[in-house]
Amino acid sequence: MKQVATLPARVLWNAFYWTYERASWQYDVMVIAILAFVWLTPPDWLNDPMASGSGPLGYVLEWIRR
Amino acid sequence: MTVTGLIGTVCMFPLRVIIDTCVRLRIHPNILTFVGVVINVAAAWALALGKFVTAGVIMVIANIFDFIDGKVALELKAVSAFGGFWDSVIDRFSDISLFIGLIYLYSRMGRTDYVMVAALAMMFAIMTSYTRARAESIIPKCKVGFMERPERIVLFMIGAFTNRMAAVLWVMLVLSIFTVADRIILTWRELRNAEGVVV
Repeated sequence: MKQVATLPARVLWNAFYWTYERASWQYDVMVIAILAFVWLTPPDWLNDPMASGSGPLGYVLEWIRR
Repeated sequence: MTVTGLIGTVCMFPLRVIIDTCVRLRIHPNILTFVGVVINVAAAWALALGKFVTAGVIMVIANIFDFIDGKVALELKAVSAFGGFWDSVIDRFSDISLFIGLIYLYSRMGRTDYVMVAALAMMFAIMTSYTRARAESIIPKCKVGFMERPERIVLFMIGAFTNRMAAVLWVMLVLSIFTVADRIILTWRELRNAEGVVV
């Protein structure tokens, strides 16, 4: 039970206190997370001065709402 | 092999040709470093004008020079303490130029919010290298944290080519803050563990 509670905390700590090498599987996961944020977050949510629209995530949310 | 490892291996093929050409022409690595910063200033200029795709293309060219200088130095047996120092100093100029390009663009658009985001990202990008340099004068190694220069450069290119610079700046800012914090924590721990050092 204790392990289940500490695992997410450990994952978060390891993501914050980064000690992994480039080209490790942890690095791949971090890169995927960053690219997902960059490409999926609607520019309107971030008030992007150079881009507009709702982006892929916005389209999906709109589609779900319909 | 991981995905990022595979991308690195594939990118190495054209770079190998460029490195071999520079070695054959016996181009001094310090000159390659300097050419890199000059081209990066051109990329910053394109960013300042809001021409992101042009800036992205120029950044790719500039960072080829940035990447190969060390490898050319090794193969020409021209590795020197000054070369390492010169490379680090010039890299900071390149980093700062790109941020200044964006700060100029956002200030011209009247977007104070993103002027601040870019300025803070620039501050923490500089602090990332400063904390490591300063730490390594008192502890053997301080290489923790995700957001180092190669990651920053690739993110700049992704932001430029896909017009997602705002998201990229947020990622750079948050992860650079974490990286600086990681380096402070590591240095504190190392000094605390070292005998006879009072922290």
